[in-house]
Amino acid sequence: MIPRIITMKNKFFIRHGLRSVRYSLLGRELDRGLVFKLLLYTIFISTSYIYLNPVLKMLVRMVMNDKDLIDPTVTWVPSSLYLGHISAAWDVLRYPSSLTISIIVALTASVFHCIACGFAGYAFARLDFPFKKVIFFLLLLSFIIPPQVIILPTILMYKKLGIMTHLITLILPSIFGFGVKGALFVFIYRQFFMTQPKELEEAAKIDGATAIKFYLKVMFPLAKPAILVVFLFSFVWTWNDTYFPRMFLTGAKDVPLSMEMLRMGSRIDAFIKDGGMAEYMAEPIRMAASFLTVLPPLLIYLFAQRYFVESVERTGLVE
Amino acid sequence: MAKKRVLTTRTVRNLEGSLFMAPWLLGFIMFLGFPLVFSVYMSFNTLKILPNKMKYNFVGLKYYHEILFGSSALYDELIPYFQEVIFMVPVIVIFALLIAIFLNQKLPGRLVFRALFFLPVIFSTGAVLQGFMSQGEGGLGFIQGDAINGFMDTYLADSSWGKPVKAVLENFVMVLWYSGVQILIFLAGRQTIPVSAYESARIDGASPWEVFWKITLPAMSPFILLNLIYTVVDMFTFPSNPVINLINSDNYGYSSALAWIYFIIILVFLGIIMLIYSRVNRGSSRRR
Repeated sequence: MIPRIITMKNKFFIRHGLRSVRYSLLGRELDRGLVFKLLLYTIFISTSYIYLNPVLKMLVRMVMNDKDLIDPTVTWVPSSLYLGHISAAWDVLRYPSSLTISIIVALTASVFHCIACGFAGYAFARLDFPFKKVIFFLLLLSFIIPPQVIILPTILMYKKLGIMTHLITLILPSIFGFGVKGALFVFIYRQFFMTQPKELEEAAKIDGATAIKFYLKVMFPLAKPAILVVFLFSFVWTWNDTYFPRMFLTGAKDVPLSMEMLRMGSRIDAFIKDGGMAEYMAEPIRMAASFLTVLPPLLIYLFAQRYFVESVERTGLVE
Repeated sequence: MAKKRVLTTRTVRNLEGSLFMAPWLLGFIMFLGFPLVFSVYMSFNTLKILPNKMKYNFVGLKYYHEILFGSSALYDELIPYFQEVIFMVPVIVIFALLIAIFLNQKLPGRLVFRALFFLPVIFSTGAVLQGFMSQGEGGLGFIQGDAINGFMDTYLADSSWGKPVKAVLENFVMVLWYSGVQILIFLAGRQTIPVSAYESARIDGASPWEVFWKITLPAMSPFILLNLIYTVVDMFTFPSNPVINLINSDNYGYSSALAWIYFIIILVFLGIIMLIYSRVNRGSSRRR
């Protein structure tokens, strides 16, 4: 009698234990268990590795000295930190001056984008004006027109205005909400303002405020998430853009970083062709130059990414 | 007096709206409308730039004819690139969708991964990407293995579709790098699906697999369309896009004609996407 109770008890414990093990491994439902989580982490870690492999290689190659570069046993860990390539790239890029230019261009362009696209976005979301539908179609059109179609007439126009090879060519379109992906920013603002409650405007109308006053005092300050998203996108894309600088600034003396990098690339290619430098020697300098070019936007992103992702969800970018 | 007052409020509203739109419209005329019309005009003319003025000679459809029937630019460079795009667009969108759905799971550390997957947007400048591509860093590593290479050589060889597939695979990571914004759009889109839909599916005993096909995917379809369009538009400035080099100021007329042919191909692309989308959507809604 007594042993039977014990075995029954045992059975109960075993079954209970098994079940709790099963639950913790597989979960009460398929996507709650430990196994599923491990699987997800494996996917994440391996894809991020593939994703970031070129960057990690860039970072490592950049600080290898010449001996490590030809040594096949050294793939990831350099024997010593060598900063010569970075300082070489620093000189070739004329880093201090091109960095300043890049910052000025990207900063002014993104500030103008924040302001100009805000007005247009608000008008599309909330205001009435004649031919609204037609103009909205124009907005869609300006989103899908490749920059290559309009680049040549723009060059001719700039030539006529006498501002070719001048940095203002990169900033001028952004004053009106154009430039690098300007139409997208108008969309972002429009989507944001459409999610705001209508009561705000009704209250303002009763108080007799004009639209402009209301926009500047209430709506624009409310749009902080949209402003952040537009600012960051615009800054980064203007910074990274090589197409417009290449077309507008051919032969200019002072050019932004991305352009300076392109020039460096072709100079190095020519140098290798003449036999002045081995290919493996040029690679780390290119890598160092890439690193120096992307460092500033990277720092901004590291600082802002938390707010940034939240903002994207709050702007109602997609509704 | 009263009637006049009503009229004025309406006009005032319209005026206010126009005032908000005015800068953008002015910009549109200056940076899009005028260049657009002008490039059509240029594509029918030879343009000679003299020291003090520009001289146009009407040549009709000559450049279009030249590009379509007598030059290598379209068939040897543009068409292969578009073949690559046909592969790149689905790869990017599907990758972004999967990553976004995975990232949406409540996992500790998902914020870190989310930041990681967006990272390439920050540094994918044309110059940097070109550097990686020329170094062959964009590949997956194992693709260069003999087995796969041999397999690809025997089956794809030099057929007109083999080369683009190979080109995409060689730069696969760079292609994936173009999915940062799409992941973000999908993530934000995923938030619009109400939790209650998933709860009721659970109670009805649907497996996660079924839930994905029956709830997540249909609800995400507008965002898939959005991302398809965005991806096609984003490919304009993909560093291996030959148009970037083909359109230059050596011959304005020829380049303009080429740009228009390029734009028309893009429009056809977008049209096909819209068509497929509306077909699939109508089909699935009928089933429901």
